[in-house]
Amino acid sequence: MTLDLDLSRVWLVDPDRHREGPADVVVRHGVIRAVRWLRGADASGVHDGGVVVAPAFVDLHAHLREPGNDAAETVATGLAAAAHGGFGLVCAMPNTEPAIDDAGALARLEAAVAAAAARASSGGEGHGLPAVRAWGAVTVDRAGDHLAPMAELAAAGIAGFSEDGAPVRSATVFRNALAYAGALGLPIVDHPEDLGLTEGAEAGEGLVATVLGLKGWPAAGEVSAVARDLAILEDVAADVPGARLHLTHLSVAGSFRLVREAKARGLPVTCDVTPHHLALSDEWVAGARRWAWDALDPEGRRLDPWGRPREAGPYDTSTRVNPPLRSPEDAAACRAAVRDGTADAIATDHAPHGTVAKSVEYGLAPNGISGIETALGVVLAAVAAGQLTLARAIEALTAGPRRVLAGPAGRPSGVADGRLALGTPASLVVFDRSATWTVSPATLRSKGKNSPLLGRSLAGRVLLTTSNGLVTYRDEALTP
Amino acid sequence: MSPAGGAPASATARPASPRWRQRHLLDVDSLDWDDLRQLMAVADDFATATRDPASKLDVLRGVNVTILFYEASTRTRVSFEVAAKKLGADVVSVTASGSSVTKGESLIDTVRTLAATGTRMLVMRHATSGAPYLVPGIFGGNVINGGDGWHAHPTQALLDLYTLRQVLPALDAGAADGWSLRGRKVAIVGDLLHSRVARSNVWTLTAAGADLWVCAPGPLLRGFEAWAAAGAAGRRFTATTDVDAALRDADVVMTLRIQKERMAGGLLPSLAEYAATYGITRERLAAASPEVLVMHPGPMNEGVEIAPDVADGPGSLITSQVHNGVAVRMAVLSLLHAAEAGAEGPG
Repeated sequence: MTLDLDLSRVWLVDPDRHREGPADVVVRHGVIRAVRWLRGADASGVHDGGVVVAPAFVDLHAHLREPGNDAAETVATGLAAAAHGGFGLVCAMPNTEPAIDDAGALARLEAAVAAAAARASSGGEGHGLPAVRAWGAVTVDRAGDHLAPMAELAAAGIAGFSEDGAPVRSATVFRNALAYAGALGLPIVDHPEDLGLTEGAEAGEGLVATVLGLKGWPAAGEVSAVARDLAILEDVAADVPGARLHLTHLSVAGSFRLVREAKARGLPVTCDVTPHHLALSDEWVAGARRWAWDALDPEGRRLDPWGRPREAGPYDTSTRVNPPLRSPEDAAACRAAVRDGTADAIATDHAPHGTVAKSVEYGLAPNGISGIETALGVVLAAVAAGQLTLARAIEALTAGPRRVLAGPAGRPSGVADGRLALGTPASLVVFDRSATWTVSPATLRSKGKNSPLLGRSLAGRVLLTTSNGLVTYRDEALTP
Repeated sequence: MSPAGGAPASATARPASPRWRQRHLLDVDSLDWDDLRQLMAVADDFATATRDPASKLDVLRGVNVTILFYEASTRTRVSFEVAAKKLGADVVSVTASGSSVTKGESLIDTVRTLAATGTRMLVMRHATSGAPYLVPGIFGGNVINGGDGWHAHPTQALLDLYTLRQVLPALDAGAADGWSLRGRKVAIVGDLLHSRVARSNVWTLTAAGADLWVCAPGPLLRGFEAWAAAGAAGRRFTATTDVDAALRDADVVMTLRIQKERMAGGLLPSLAEYAATYGITRERLAAASPEVLVMHPGPMNEGVEIAPDVADGPGSLITSQVHNGVAVRMAVLSLLHAAEAGAEGPG
């Protein structure tokens, strides 16, 4: 049975044409056959608070953990989780063991993806998994010394290069990498962190870290790294037209000020924010579980985290993440950056960990939140609170990250192109904003149950995800 | 009438605890003034009941108390051991170097092992902030934080408050809620950044109504400026690098240990410069109240954060602090145990 869909009287969001409204979408044999925008009586009663259809989401930043840490995630479980989250294309981070630092390692990842997809399709004709692209390591073994064989990786289809989990430590290596990758037309994706300021850090520096006695990760540890990266980008881009930089998981107000200013000057820089940095805040480390926008007073200053009973205990290791959860004011800056386009994309930084690894003292726990399945629900909570428009939120999950992958040259962003174009294989997400689901170890497809949202009900239940004309996730409540 | 007036007999029976509900003592942030007053009243009972050094009570008879210390400690560990033994408990002391912890056993596995061998009350000291919070979820008994990282040292703050209550008369003697630190200026001077004693004292001293000042050189004060300005739970205090302002007219000065390893990270130029600029000396104390009281949680670096003649001077409470630790820890153990029994009792 191939994929045939008649999605009638849904709210369609088409970020590539900047259009949203009531529509019918028809898919036959996995291919988009018709998109009809509805008006008048046909459109009556269709609104943006019910069933929404959009291009399947694109995640610029996910850790699939295979090879090297099967207890945390595998390609198969990570992609099942991605599909459950509405994602049709996942960009895998190269900090596996061994790292993805040559064409052989990339080929092994692609073989693992193909094997997982083959198993998924054995579940029924027309079934598959989200598409995968990989970032390659900037340096061999991510050791920071020798550039990885970037041309070899580019020829093999790598999306770009990143040392994520850590910054490119040496400014000289970073400068050379930008120039080398730039000539190949590929971006460097940097995790901006001044390691001299963050050694031993356990939580975002500020009120909550102080009261809880956790070593602070200062905002300046990110801002100074962003400043370094932008200064070097400006230097390289003057001579290498293809050079470009993507800054991932920016989390503090000062970083967005610098990126906003750099973009205004025409520097080839893009950036993303995570759902947790725009919707959660450091008070979650103390046990609070209110959204970041509910933790601010009308003047935009943080409310007293100890001024009310907290919903959970402190030191829950599921809140330990790098960069750390920040103040509610910084979370507001993240949302402002998404609103005004300073942030090009919302990327999950899906970082699954095994339960044993996280069942330790806070300061000894590995960093990361399992977030690819909760991203939509978290972002829709921001939409429901009036913090983002639905159209902008969807764009930051689709067209925005596709533009980051494509670059100014407009090269194809990946096997799942994702536009709602007639005659192309359908990569769609269908979700119901009026339906909820509860985040729990049982409902998360990821092996990583390390989510501070466990127990929480999220609106925006994904009903169906497709990738390249194949069904990758279908809610059991949905009749085929 | 508070239990403070109770005869020793009331302590030998399970202390009446109509109000106390906490099964664990992980932090002092959730203790309100009534909790603190009740705890100090129970400590009074035990101080009276154990005035005879040979006295032993049966409040914790048959109860296994394990004192699990992942960090070196003399006074806290000994004080808990003595307190538990005076209450009639069976006490086991475990230190990290003498257990399978050195073989890499996780904290959770260690606690499960202790629980399986019958431990009902666990006193824990750990170098990582928040470590005791891992325990209640896997351990049915009571957990007492004996100090965790930079975060909290609840019994130290409680014994500090108890010690002040012994010697400082209330300024507002007619107040409906009795003794408090209202109208009293308390200055904490030293390495705030790394101090669990300071953090716990911020909560208890502000709960008691003190005009609290915390003071350190800039790098050792980081974060406390924001805490003081925000006033967590609505509790205001003052953070300053100006030691003279902190000491001016202070009724109490609490000094904190300056550790030698702090120099490595560039937090301080030298111990000598600290002693010269922030050390609590007779000259510097001249600006404080004439009857100023001086406290130190120990261990002291005499000649660095505190001058020897101040540590041994007329206003020094340092020996009383150590002495009072036993009665306060007896109160903590008995109240938590009673809350436990209440939770498990019929109805």
